[in-house]
Amino acid sequence: MQSFRRFERSSTLFIGLLVVSFLLATFDVRAQSGGLGEVMRDGAQTLFSPLQKAATAITRPVVGVIDALSNLAGLREENERQRQVIAELEQRLQDTAALEAEIESLREALGFEPVGDLTVVPARIFSNGSSDFDRVRFIDKGSQEGITKGQAVIDVSTGGLVGRVDLVSEHSARVRLVTDPRMGVGIRNKTTGETGWVEGQGTEMRLEMFAATEAVSVGDVLYTDGSLFPPDIAVGTVKRAAESQAGFALFSTVEPQIDLSRLDYVTVVVGWSPLDAVPEAPDSGTFIPDPNLLP
Amino acid sequence: MTRGRQVAAALGLTILAIVLQGALFGEGRIHPFGASPSLVAIVVIGTVRYLDAATALLVGFTGGLLADLLGGSPLGLWAMAFTVVAYVTLQVRERADDGPLVVATGVFAITFLAYALFAVAGTLFGQDTLADPDVVHLMLLPALYTTILGAFLLPLITLLMRGRRVRGWAP
Repeated sequence: MQSFRRFERSSTLFIGLLVVSFLLATFDVRAQSGGLGEVMRDGAQTLFSPLQKAATAITRPVVGVIDALSNLAGLREENERQRQVIAELEQRLQDTAALEAEIESLREALGFEPVGDLTVVPARIFSNGSSDFDRVRFIDKGSQEGITKGQAVIDVSTGGLVGRVDLVSEHSARVRLVTDPRMGVGIRNKTTGETGWVEGQGTEMRLEMFAATEAVSVGDVLYTDGSLFPPDIAVGTVKRAAESQAGFALFSTVEPQIDLSRLDYVTVVVGWSPLDAVPEAPDSGTFIPDPNLLP
Repeated sequence: MTRGRQVAAALGLTILAIVLQGALFGEGRIHPFGASPSLVAIVVIGTVRYLDAATALLVGFTGGLLADLLGGSPLGLWAMAFTVVAYVTLQVRERADDGPLVVATGVFAITFLAYALFAVAGTLFGQDTLADPDVVHLMLLPALYTTILGAFLLPLITLLMRGRRVRGWAP
């Protein structure tokens, strides 16, 4: 009898905990990860990030050895590939320097002000999410270093868009990856010049172009259009050719520019705001956009 | 070991599991074939055997809530999944005496259940978890890895928690 009562009490507790979980999820989703959820996350992050940083520092060599062992066969090939990439990048760097000088002189000639100041803060990833379903990374810089919500994060090695800062504590921040289903990025196809929208789908992304008149081809590189993120950051490469049918939207699959398995050092763009991308209204002074439309 | 120490050990192990999960596993860390084991699931399954029902459920809930807080999912999803893990483990913990094969099967099934529950709940709460093309892969492989890792970690958890083994629902 006593055992049955305990069973009953435990079952009540079980149902109670399920109800609490359900309510927490409901309120958190409704508050869009703000409100009480944000306060709790901030507290947990402040409390646990030193432990996570220490654990990462201790385990990094072990992880490195295991990673190297599992990739032993491909290491030489990878080394050779990296050498080629470095050679290409060095060449591109020289070309870019010449182009930058040319752009600067043209800007001066036209009296053009550069859009925004792309000041960046370097950071390092110290933790992944708590499961493979989590498309987030935690970086070792926070509000004390000038990081705020909504800033763009760029991979140092590929220059591709990693994602957006969506939670900040004093000395750490959470970055939601471009592959997260809750992430969307306005893009421009450099090949056709047309704009569209890319949404995360876990490991890859989905491209939607509602007003496309030209087809997209495999290998087309998509860049940020400057609406929510600084312009001209590589987002991904089109994996499947597609064209719009009789005025309907064009859909395709996009491979992210970043290699998620190699993400380590990143930069956070702290000197750019979506407001920088908003042009002045032609006849009414400065146009002030609706802040609700901004991230 | 006294009951208080067992509870403290269970909570300590849960926190350790959460901290190590992000540091050791995932993309860019140990992530064979695009998946990684769940240390929290191993800890919840391992410690529940030595706790009374109410404490076991609370340990599962706490572990899940920490996973939510230090991950990217809405609060409550992992809390729900790991509370169910604790509840199911409570129901079948007597079978642990039937041998390692039964334990391995149980760990695999319970972990898979947790991931499936998370995926379904995530989709219900607008996370599009089931829309991920790799969703089956992301449920089966972690369950398999958790089972393999559990073969090494469950005996260690048993060593830490040993002293007073709870049978049935009685504390």
